[in-house]
Amino acid sequence: MRSRLAFLPLAGIVIAGGPAYATVYLSVEQAQTLLFPGATFQPDTRTLTNEQAKAIEHASGVDVRSKQLKAWRVSTGGWLIVDEVVGKHEYIPFAMALDDKGAVKGVEILEYREAYGGQIREPEWRKQFVGKEPGTKLQLDKNIRNVSGATLSCKHVTDGVQRLLATYELVLKQPGH
Amino acid sequence: MSSYSNNPVIERAQPWLGTLVSIRVSGLEASEAHRAIDDAFNEIALVHRLMSFHDSGSDVSRLNRGLTGRPVAVHPCTIEVLQKAQMFSSCSEGCFDISIGAELVEWQLLPMPSIDEQSADGSWRDIEVLPDGHVVFHRPLWIDLGGIAKGYAVDRAAECLRRWGAVQAVINAGGDIRVQGQLMEPIRLAVESSVDTMPVLELADGSVASSSGHRQRRWHDGRLCGPHVDGTDRSPTATDRFVCVLANDCVVADALTKVVMARGPESANLLQRFGASAHVYDPTDGWLHLEGDVEGW
Repeated sequence: MRSRLAFLPLAGIVIAGGPAYATVYLSVEQAQTLLFPGATFQPDTRTLTNEQAKAIEHASGVDVRSKQLKAWRVSTGGWLIVDEVVGKHEYIPFAMALDDKGAVKGVEILEYREAYGGQIREPEWRKQFVGKEPGTKLQLDKNIRNVSGATLSCKHVTDGVQRLLATYELVLKQPGH
Repeated sequence: MSSYSNNPVIERAQPWLGTLVSIRVSGLEASEAHRAIDDAFNEIALVHRLMSFHDSGSDVSRLNRGLTGRPVAVHPCTIEVLQKAQMFSSCSEGCFDISIGAELVEWQLLPMPSIDEQSADGSWRDIEVLPDGHVVFHRPLWIDLGGIAKGYAVDRAAECLRRWGAVQAVINAGGDIRVQGQLMEPIRLAVESSVDTMPVLELADGSVASSSGHRQRRWHDGRLCGPHVDGTDRSPTATDRFVCVLANDCVVADALTKVVMARGPESANLLQRFGASAHVYDPTDGWLHLEGDVEGW
């Protein structure tokens, strides 16, 4: 093991405009291939009615923020749904695979963006950059992809999964299945 | 190392263990990297299913609602984690203790499990791991493996990626991180120790875990309670402290953060025993480095 603790001057860090932290994991196409290898996908995008949204909220206990449902029928059976959850500071699009019985086959995070992480979201902290030229151009999203000590809850994602399971039951599932 | 430079870096993330777990692999051809990552996530999913406090079907829940004195059969992985937990408890004179479920439930940091029997005053000493894959509690107690299971899961995933031949890999389970390979990986430490600088740890071929109770702490019975409990007197540990432990294995780093959180500088000998070291930040005393037998210090 080799390690070194360094203290990077904050004045050199570019934060203006962009997200403090962003990682793209997979495109929708990559997620499709990983979750259903060798399958083809037929888009089945729908707009939920108010009644459907209410029924989903009732069944899952999770708010429906968007009525647009991005789903694909899979040639080998099952569904792929792409959705997103928005937390207090983060934005997380994800893909969920359901097998032909409607059970979760896999969840892949497509992207993770945190608006401002930890101290960076504090206005006092940000004030010091006003009018300053960026120095070393260390970009948080590019160079530092890991954070230790601020355990990120995945509750928003697990809530999103519950909401999509209810959506499947109430909207996508074929009668008689 | 030509294969390393020609192959892509593949990174994926999935929700497990109550957090987002990311796995990044270099040195494998793309389809092979994805299969390796699939296998590594399967290891993490297994630990999640066996050791969740929330899931009534997990080994942990079956143990917690089992009858006192009656052996419960559990998965070999659960046995391994319990044996490690007992070892850390023994080495820390009970400062590390997985039988703190009752305190965490009382402080509303864990949900009340659906168990008829109320949790009582058992400790790690009342847990017996039998040689035949069974575990028996000699007094009523609730275990929570939240202080060790993430590190264990990360180690299992790392071992899996090593078997696949990944040259460089980073597994991050909510800040419990293992870096495999010789390239230094920068890791931001989430502590506001100064308005001018940001602490960044660079790590190669090792693990790090960090704790700061401060984000989850709440008032209970007139005192601030965070997610860390000193097993010796069942009290909440100093919640202003930030602790980052470095060790070869992530399970060691994960478990020892709890001891360093409670004991501070007094934990130096224990760290040394495991070849570990720690960076501790305290708002009053500033940064403190506790060194063990770690290369590069």
